[in-house]
Amino acid sequence: MTSSPLVLEHVTKRFGGLVAVENVNVEIEPGKITGLIGPNGAGKTTIFGVISGRFAPTAGRIVALGHDITGWSPHAICRLGLCVTHQIVRPFPDLTVLENVMVGAAFGGGARVAAHDARREAIAVLEFAGLAVRADQAASALTLAQRKRLEIARALATRPSVLLLDEVLAGLTPSEVVQAVTLVREICARGITIVMIEHVMHAVMNLSHRVLVLNYGRLIADGTPADVTGNREVIAAYLGTGPQEAHLWPAPQAQDAAGGPAQTGEETLHD
Amino acid sequence: MTRLRPAAAAAPALGVALAFVPLVAPHNITVLNLGFFTFLYVAQGLAWNILGGFAGYVSFGYAAFFGLGAYTTALLWLHGWTPVLTFPLAGLCAAAFSLVVGVPTLRLIGPYFSIATIGVGEAMRILMLNLDNITGGASGLNLPTTVPSKGWFYIASLVLAAIAYATASWVRTSRLGLGLAALRMDLDAAETLGVRTALFKNVAHVISAFLVGVCGGLFAMYFQYLHPDNVFSFTESISLVLIALIGGLGTIWGPILGAAVFFAVQDYLQTSYPTFHLLVYGVLLIVILLFEPRGLAGLAARLAGRRRAPAPVALAPPAPGTVAPPSTPGGGS
Amino acid sequence: MFTAQNLISICITSILTAGLYAIMSYGLAIIYGVMKVINLSNAGFLMLGAFMTQVYSQTWHLDPIAGAFLNMPLFFLAGWAVYVTLVRRVRQALPIASLLMLFGLWLVLQNVALTVWGSEDQSIITRYTYKALSFFDYRIAVTRLVVFVVALAVMAILHVVLNHTYVGKALRATVQDPQAALLAGIDTERISALAFGIGTAFAGFAGGLMTLLFSFTPDFGAPFQLKSFTIIVLGGLENLAGVTIGAAILAFAESFAVLFMRASLQNVVAYALLVIALIVMPGGVASLFGRRS
Repeated sequence: MTSSPLVLEHVTKRFGGLVAVENVNVEIEPGKITGLIGPNGAGKTTIFGVISGRFAPTAGRIVALGHDITGWSPHAICRLGLCVTHQIVRPFPDLTVLENVMVGAAFGGGARVAAHDARREAIAVLEFAGLAVRADQAASALTLAQRKRLEIARALATRPSVLLLDEVLAGLTPSEVVQAVTLVREICARGITIVMIEHVMHAVMNLSHRVLVLNYGRLIADGTPADVTGNREVIAAYLGTGPQEAHLWPAPQAQDAAGGPAQTGEETLHD
Repeated sequence: MTRLRPAAAAAPALGVALAFVPLVAPHNITVLNLGFFTFLYVAQGLAWNILGGFAGYVSFGYAAFFGLGAYTTALLWLHGWTPVLTFPLAGLCAAAFSLVVGVPTLRLIGPYFSIATIGVGEAMRILMLNLDNITGGASGLNLPTTVPSKGWFYIASLVLAAIAYATASWVRTSRLGLGLAALRMDLDAAETLGVRTALFKNVAHVISAFLVGVCGGLFAMYFQYLHPDNVFSFTESISLVLIALIGGLGTIWGPILGAAVFFAVQDYLQTSYPTFHLLVYGVLLIVILLFEPRGLAGLAARLAGRRRAPAPVALAPPAPGTVAPPSTPGGGS
Repeated sequence: MFTAQNLISICITSILTAGLYAIMSYGLAIIYGVMKVINLSNAGFLMLGAFMTQVYSQTWHLDPIAGAFLNMPLFFLAGWAVYVTLVRRVRQALPIASLLMLFGLWLVLQNVALTVWGSEDQSIITRYTYKALSFFDYRIAVTRLVVFVVALAVMAILHVVLNHTYVGKALRATVQDPQAALLAGIDTERISALAFGIGTAFAGFAGGLMTLLFSFTPDFGAPFQLKSFTIIVLGGLENLAGVTIGAAILAFAESFAVLFMRASLQNVVAYALLVIALIVMPGGVASLFGRRS
């Protein structure tokens, strides 16, 4: 029996004739940050959708925290200890920031939590996430960066063992990115396993202990950030050429990708 | 939602004050009757609101629960039961039916659920009309005439309203209420946070159906005559929708205000045919939807200068940056 | 009861009824298709169409068929007005808001009619109301045949308009993909108003035709409202051609159901089909055979 908190076995997802995810096999390492990157449309969010129970896989199995969760409903998976954030943030608009997080605290994993206990836990999570000062504001009044932070806080309140973050850095200014990266590191320091989909390359390469690369639904690379940035197939996937044309590109030097902040949205594999 | 509102003591105080009316005016049948119906519909409106306002599932078929409760009491009464003892069973019968109907239909989203409830409600009425041997069919069911005084009914109805008020208030501040609010605003997001949306929807449905069923039982005792076109009517169903909507969907005071106004209007507009007040209500509904979706309760709050409106509203548009609801009946779940 | 002759007779009745059901549901289908709004006031306009036709009949001795056609432009304008003043304002709110608003409108229409015309059964008698044609061994009421033929003709015209005019194509485009239509330069707001007008016009037209077949009261729209909705769900909610399929399914189901149960329970067939269709096959009957994405 593996110690991995999240295992995907031959996971495939088809939508009608479109194969979004094809035969993905991976074992996520506990307590670490795993980055999931790939060009747009590669199937990253779909994989998250399959893991979180939003849709059932067409084939394959997902084993999380000792249970086969294939086909489980999203709420059961959350209560098991696996929570996902959304690429387009979805705060509950008419609830306050505190109430939003209370939902996570009240219904998340572990023993059943009553309303007043949920409130206390939510306040603690808000303090950790730096949103405590906004606790009584309506969630719809927040800026994008704050909403993204709320989305993370809310998911955190469910007491997850595994947290799936879907593009939490998208649309943030460089300084907001730095703050968000710090938050993600602090969450990992608490022992939570993190898998994050990201396009902001410098950040994900900086944060991740391991990087998975998806292209057209298939896993094309799996290794350390340094391995992955040097991988020709990965470069070809991002630049739009097929792997057979990768020989046209000069072999890049293995880069230490711990560079300074680059411009948001620019996919830099080298500095 | 878990904060104590300053007005929280107002409703119980009002209730206690109203309880003195039969002592003060025991022979004023008009007032006692008006009170009876108003409280009965306050109770039903508050109950309906648990599913319609808190969870956001607008049902046009609650007459089915009212009618089932009424007939349960009626039939048991005819078999020798003391009417009051039948009330829990009336509620249970309605609650059981709500499960049968709710489990499949609550999977539908928003408007499709509403349309389905119209179908279910009307189907029940026709079925009941045709079950002659049980319901007396088109000629109705006559019930025993030995009943307590109008004063008794007034108090009984007030007690039901108080129970409904307590139940709705409890739901609103409980974990259940938080889950209902979450699933109303964003069902998928609520699911990913661990809310068992299907279970909560059905629990809300069952609780509210139970209360409405008991109201039906009390009505049967009061009216002493039942006909399917009365208790299973579409008019009964839409009365609840109107009361909650015009009063203020998802609020506690909404159904109270809504029912009070509803019966005041109905009483005042005594004209040649019995549904004229629905015309007024249709107009009110349109006006409310155009200008003040939070209903009378929202209007009152605005006038009182509250900065934050009473409670979440089922009709507000999704906030920018959130995903719009899907356009197929089955939605995401 | 199950004789061949009886069964064929039922089939004929079903076909004729299907024609009426289709024309009655088109209005609802167009409005829903273009703007995803469930028009609960459709029943109200259906009922008004019937009453207006009666007014023409009493004032100018106009035949109900002519009256039905006269309703079309009038109700078109009414529908346009309703869209512009009411529906447009709540479109950006949740879908339940527009449903409730149009429900309110239905209440108003119904009760205004009650105030003006009272609650007694009304009917229009023409020279041919009681006549029937003999076709081999079967007698077909002239009124039913006439309604069927007229409905068919109007649907044929609708088909031509939808497929061969700019407006028709714009309408179909908006049904299929409102965002793409907007990008293609189609004024979707105007198309929506147009669709609402057309939908209401059809309701008024169908109401006029129905005076030939039924007696009517201000309440009579309600069962037809639900039947129309059943039909468009059965046909596949965004599929305009599916309306004819849905109409046929409902008409046949209702007619044959009477062989097995009381006539007074007939409407329950529609309601049951509605609930089942919504839950089991929201994509309509076609989705049972085709692949769902």
